[in-house]
Amino acid sequence: MGNIYDIIIVGSGPAGMTAAIYAIRANMKVLLLDRLAPGGQMINTNEVENYTGTGKLSGAELAIKMFEHTQELGVEFDYKTVVNISNGGDLKTVTCEEEGTVYQAKAVILATGTVPRRLGVPGEEEWAANGISWCAICDGAQYRDKEVVVIGGGNSAVEESIYLAGICTKLTIVTMLDLTADPKACDQLRKMPNVTIYPYQEVLEFTGTDRLTGVRFKSTKEDATERYVTCDGVFEYIGFSASSQAFADLGILDRTGCIQTDARMCTSVPGIFGAGDITVKHLRQIITACSDGAVAANSAASYVESLK
Amino acid sequence: MITEITEKEYETLDPATPKMIEFYSKTCGPCKMLSFVLKDISKQKPDFPIYIIDFDENRELKERLGVKGFPTMLFFKDGQEVSRLEGLKQKPAIINAIEALY
Repeated sequence: MGNIYDIIIVGSGPAGMTAAIYAIRANMKVLLLDRLAPGGQMINTNEVENYTGTGKLSGAELAIKMFEHTQELGVEFDYKTVVNISNGGDLKTVTCEEEGTVYQAKAVILATGTVPRRLGVPGEEEWAANGISWCAICDGAQYRDKEVVVIGGGNSAVEESIYLAGICTKLTIVTMLDLTADPKACDQLRKMPNVTIYPYQEVLEFTGTDRLTGVRFKSTKEDATERYVTCDGVFEYIGFSASSQAFADLGILDRTGCIQTDARMCTSVPGIFGAGDITVKHLRQIITACSDGAVAANSAASYVESLK
Repeated sequence: MITEITEKEYETLDPATPKMIEFYSKTCGPCKMLSFVLKDISKQKPDFPIYIIDFDENRELKERLGVKGFPTMLFFKDGQEVSRLEGLKQKPAIINAIEALY
């Protein structure tokens, strides 16, 4: 059996990193794990403009600042994929994919966030990562002076569309509702001359032979008009699914796979806490994730102290 | 060891040596976070050469190698590309690609 920690934090987005900062400052022995890299969804965000005190900066810059903060305080970090968490009462067991690595901790904070949701329509699987992307700042460059379709109308869709419209010749937005993002960003996008918006649409299929060539969709209004737009690439921003498969056995998830917590970020299992986008919440933002992380760490530290 | 190079310097690399070439962009968040992962891998495998190339400033080379987005990691052995990983990838996947070169 591996090392025993006071608190293991699974996921190093803003919730996990803030939890690590608060936990280590509460004199806890802390391990922060992430399957990929520090930052979570933040690193795919082109610009963050609403995190108090930082002004405008890229999501990656904010992620780096947060990660460096954890390292200055001496938080132990490792790249590991957690595949199971079992509740052994006062001691929880965290099992990782990598060579059967196993850790034990008195408390665990789950902050694994979410992954982009997919439409599940014909052609999506075929052109995924080869014409259809979920990250404009990763793959946008290959569509310079080309035509692109963005699916979705929320904050991510609108923010990334503003970025893409600056490099593409033509940008078409197809969304299930109308634009629902921050009104200031929506106004900015609507004013861009190369942008066409089709609200209240259902995507039917992605088409192509040797490469993606277009998107077919139809109106959800009474007329049910069907349209076809040709394009070189598609970016999907239709929300997120919880990354909670590894904790399914703990009985702490709601029907959407999110973790149900109370105001102190406690789950129904003593010693297991949730924080950030993976929890059941109304507003999923960097700043609310940080808040969750601070509360979860405070509650977890109190719980660990109560075991003594 | 991680070394930043240009497309001109790329031409002078010894083809016989197994290596990774990573194309990155200064504006790309996943590239910045991948740099943390690569630093960690470099600590674990200090003798394995990792070369990083700015995607935006070395367009001729990225066109020639068929690199479309960033970050993109190309793994070379005997002057031939053996595999490539596109996007921010998990550390074990990158280690596996490196170990497959030997």
